[in-house]
Amino acid sequence: MPRWLKLRGYSFRQLLGLIIIIAFATLGILAPYLGLYDPNQSSMDILQGASATHWFGTDELGRDILSRDIYGIRVSLAVGLGVGVFATVIGVPIGLFAGYSRGRTDLVILQIIDLFVALPALILALLITAIIGSTTINIALVLGFVMWPQMARLVRGQVISVRETVYVEAARALGSSAVWIMRRHILPNVMRLIIAQFAITVAFGIFSSASLSFLGLGVPPPTPDWGTMVREGVQFLTFCPLMSITPGAAVTLTVLGFYLLGSKDD
Amino acid sequence: MLSHITRRILLMIPNVLAMTFLLFATVSSFLGSPAAAMLGQEASLQDIQALDKQYGFDKPIIVQYFDWIGHALRGDLGRSYTSQQSVAEALLPTIPLTIELSLWAIVLAVVMTVLLNSLPFARRLIQPVTTVLAVIGITIPNFMLGICLIYIFSVQLRWLPTTGWVPWSAGAGSHLLHIILPAVTLSANYFGSFTLVYREEYKAAYRQLFIKVARAKGLSELRVSLVHALPNAILPVITYIGLSLGPLVGGAVVTEIVFSMPGVGRLFVGAISAHDFPVMLAVGILVIFGVMVANLISDIVYTSINRQVALG
Repeated sequence: MPRWLKLRGYSFRQLLGLIIIIAFATLGILAPYLGLYDPNQSSMDILQGASATHWFGTDELGRDILSRDIYGIRVSLAVGLGVGVFATVIGVPIGLFAGYSRGRTDLVILQIIDLFVALPALILALLITAIIGSTTINIALVLGFVMWPQMARLVRGQVISVRETVYVEAARALGSSAVWIMRRHILPNVMRLIIAQFAITVAFGIFSSASLSFLGLGVPPPTPDWGTMVREGVQFLTFCPLMSITPGAAVTLTVLGFYLLGSKDD
Repeated sequence: MLSHITRRILLMIPNVLAMTFLLFATVSSFLGSPAAAMLGQEASLQDIQALDKQYGFDKPIIVQYFDWIGHALRGDLGRSYTSQQSVAEALLPTIPLTIELSLWAIVLAVVMTVLLNSLPFARRLIQPVTTVLAVIGITIPNFMLGICLIYIFSVQLRWLPTTGWVPWSAGAGSHLLHIILPAVTLSANYFGSFTLVYREEYKAAYRQLFIKVARAKGLSELRVSLVHALPNAILPVITYIGLSLGPLVGGAVVTEIVFSMPGVGRLFVGAISAHDFPVMLAVGILVIFGVMVANLISDIVYTSINRQVALG
């Protein structure tokens, strides 16, 4: 990457991701003030193609697709951030504890983590969501529950390398408690990794929640939800492709934004 | 070697039991009495209790669980609530399709990864393109890629059939034509992640002494990369295949729905929307079991190849 593209320690990738996220978040927050059609207002103009009045056309109930795409940002970001928060709240303490305690405790926790990592997360999420009901908070909880192990595993790995440093040993020699050492000396060193993994978790939270709603387990209608919109639009793919392709592209771009923000440069 | 395999197998048994029990307990406790669900809202309490007794829903969860396992081991997975078909009857015909689709996707992803990231001219010329493709492959949801491919290749160009599936018996050509788009759709994610893993390993292999020796001997770049670097870089990808089988099943479910293919995924999603408890449970547990076994196999393959590398 050329040097001028590096802005205060961010790589080109991360900046690109950040720009995408900021653009989407702004659109989502400002949605009511943009002079859009009401996303849930049906009209007689059904299944229209793109035009000056409806940029992305209208769906089978005559609702404006652009407006539904933009309002869909809200649900997606809420679920994605929720997944990130839940996965972090469960994963980070477990990873810290496993890495710091080592020995048998570590082995047992690692076994559990490996077991979870290998499981078909989407299948589990489908089963649990189907049973407890697909509200925004439930979807975020379920996906957070299937995604914490990756966070825990990464944190554990980093903690193991940090806990061998001289300053941690010095702190231990001075008689600091384990909790103090973890908070004061280990956590700050793991923070960068946690933030990056948080972004990745949000990306896959959005990815998986869109897959869930595509399979029919989305936030209940009429709330605009990208996965559900694609699901409903597929049957009109031949003559009204914008109806399923624009929300699909929105999912892809948002996931891409968070993924780029959290991934490291090649 | 043998002791390693036995240890892994022994370790897997409690894992499988714990995992499937958790699933069984969650599903049963949240669903409430399946008898009530079967009889509908007007059923009297006596009727529900009678049916509970008949099916054994009144016993403690752990007893029900071992009953279920016992029956499952004898090939009896229960009966679907909606179709009154036995679960095994509904499930068995769907399995080959899902396995075939997954295999095609994995093979396609590995071949593309190796081709685009190890041939010398490809590495030099299209490296940035491969990176972009890999990142998009990782972040694009299966349903989005699926409908884009359908729109381009079936609706606009009319080269390939839109959806559906044709069995081998109806002609290999037609069968393969129907499976191209689903296989590409499912492989995109794996192409992306395999590329990241493979590149890292490839670079690491390239820094090693034997590569320098091979090049100093005057071997061509092509030979160095295919004969010397590739075998070393492919090993971690094999482990990674094992680890990515879980997500692969999830992707297969979505892909089967997009292309309306009668596989395990469609059966599962259909059962979920119909609240068909026995089918949901049986498919969920079997998929988890299958993923664990496949993981074990990939681990064994990896260890044995690794030994050979170490010895040779």
